[in-house]
Amino acid sequence: MSERPQVLRAGSAVIEQPRIAAPAAQTSSITTGRRRPPRGFDRPRFLPMVTALVFIYLFAPILVVTWFSFNSKQSLNVFGTPSLKWYDQLIHDPIITGSLFASVEIALVTMVVSTVIGTLLAFGLVRARSRFSRPTDILMLLNLVSPEVVTGVALLLVFSEAGGFLLQFGIQFGLSLTTVVLGHITFSIAYVTIIVRGRLAALNREVEEAALDLGATNVGAMRLVTLPLLWPAIIASGLLVFVMSFDDFITSYFTTGVGVEPLPLRIYSMIHFGVTPEINAVGTLMMVMTIAIVLAALALFTRQQNARQELAFLAE
Amino acid sequence: MTSNRLWRLLLAPGAIWLLLLFVAPFGVVIAVSLGTTDFIGRPVFGWYPENYQQVFDPIFIPVLVRTAAFAIGTTLLCLVIGYPVAYMIARYGGRFRNLLIVLIILPWFADYLVRIYAWYVILGNEGVVNGLLQAIGLHGNPPITFVNTPFAVVGGLVYDYLPFMILPIYAALERMDPSLIEAGKDLYGTPFQTFLNVTWPATIQGVIAGAVLVGLPAVGDFATAQILGGPNTYMIGNLINDQFTNGGYPPFGAALTIVLMILLSLLMVFYLRSASAPSEATI
Repeated sequence: MSERPQVLRAGSAVIEQPRIAAPAAQTSSITTGRRRPPRGFDRPRFLPMVTALVFIYLFAPILVVTWFSFNSKQSLNVFGTPSLKWYDQLIHDPIITGSLFASVEIALVTMVVSTVIGTLLAFGLVRARSRFSRPTDILMLLNLVSPEVVTGVALLLVFSEAGGFLLQFGIQFGLSLTTVVLGHITFSIAYVTIIVRGRLAALNREVEEAALDLGATNVGAMRLVTLPLLWPAIIASGLLVFVMSFDDFITSYFTTGVGVEPLPLRIYSMIHFGVTPEINAVGTLMMVMTIAIVLAALALFTRQQNARQELAFLAE
Repeated sequence: MTSNRLWRLLLAPGAIWLLLLFVAPFGVVIAVSLGTTDFIGRPVFGWYPENYQQVFDPIFIPVLVRTAAFAIGTTLLCLVIGYPVAYMIARYGGRFRNLLIVLIILPWFADYLVRIYAWYVILGNEGVVNGLLQAIGLHGNPPITFVNTPFAVVGGLVYDYLPFMILPIYAALERMDPSLIEAGKDLYGTPFQTFLNVTWPATIQGVIAGAVLVGLPAVGDFATAQILGGPNTYMIGNLINDQFTNGGYPPFGAALTIVLMILLSLLMVFYLRSASAPSEATI
């Protein structure tokens, strides 16, 4: 029993480090699997069935919402004729379009600020030798696992206390879209840091040292060697953060003031008011947007892995 | 050596941000939880520890128990349906493995509220399922009540967080050496014995990571219970929410938040203890 984890860890290290070796190992295991068909009990029959059912479970709700967004009828269980009337209606609804623009704005600011802070933090955590490294790391992870209700309530209280405090100096500070942005940045930093740090730690430091040996300045090596290798991870994390901010409900819920509300909050009020096919249309639009962005991020991430393989190859 | 100073400097913005907007807010929550309110309901600081007594008031015990039951139920359900899927993809996914994993996570990126609302569309009294039942002439009238039941809420929670169970288990299965299973078979283990003695212990880290990633947010969730549930599916998140937004008593909400945070921290400590070497893949 006690030996097993060690064997595993050794095995995983072999797979993790040289990325080139990994695909080779995978294909060989697949081919042997094909050559020697699994014995009867190798693959229990329920496995493919459960998997298929789970995929249906995961996709059915999304497809249903999309399908009914094109329904000419108000009904949620009778489909009339295909129509775009709910989309037309929402484009001409100034409250919804206002919320949409507010959400995009919030997500953009959140993306830029948290990507910068998160990337800096990743560099600091990987490269600095400091007694603050570990506490900062733990702080970041704690932030990542805290339920949003808890952080949301905490932000709500700190913002209203700060508002009362600043009022003494004649400064107006209340809940607004600004506080929403502050809240979103707070939960986003950790995601950027973890993604960028993963890449940074995997990066071969020798390549940067080689650049320095070849006469590059510190800044030059960073600009010409390190950052180009990190860009895909940074952009991918930025896109992820954009999507999470754009979709966020709970933190926004606690930090929004009166006035224009972010789109998820608008949807929440609409659901409270009653189910209308307009929600299906908004939901479908949001899904198309976020899933397109996520796929872009994923494409970048895969390209990044290829780039890393090339680099590992050069290093050898 | 000057470069170390530069790297240390880069820690500062993130650390300061988290101190100001993550740590300090908790100080305020603690302060509010011990305070009271003035005549217009604004928090006033003071020393009123009875706010914490109220958390364990018999009136609220059902809410706490229900929250725990929903979170545990959600985690177990995610495990029971997530493990086979992770296993199927890791072992038999072949070259489609990455694609299948992307497909698992993709629905999660649809808007959180829209996903919950989608279940309302499907299960509601005038929803898709009742419509279908009516169409085939089965039990359509009166409609079957799915929403406002604990099943709808737990089903919604499972839907919300299932990918977070599948991903770490998948990562653990992928890291595991398949020849270990072969060895189990060579030693004449039945598939069940092999699973129990080889695969399960080798992937327990992934399971624990998944349980944390599903369980923690499930405990704090309130929108799912709000939309798919009713008064009889009230969770601690709803109770906290009411204290701050629906004319409740903020100090009590703050006390609830602190108690929730302490319970979750205990779970986290347990997790960190059992996962001696948390790897990047599990996060």
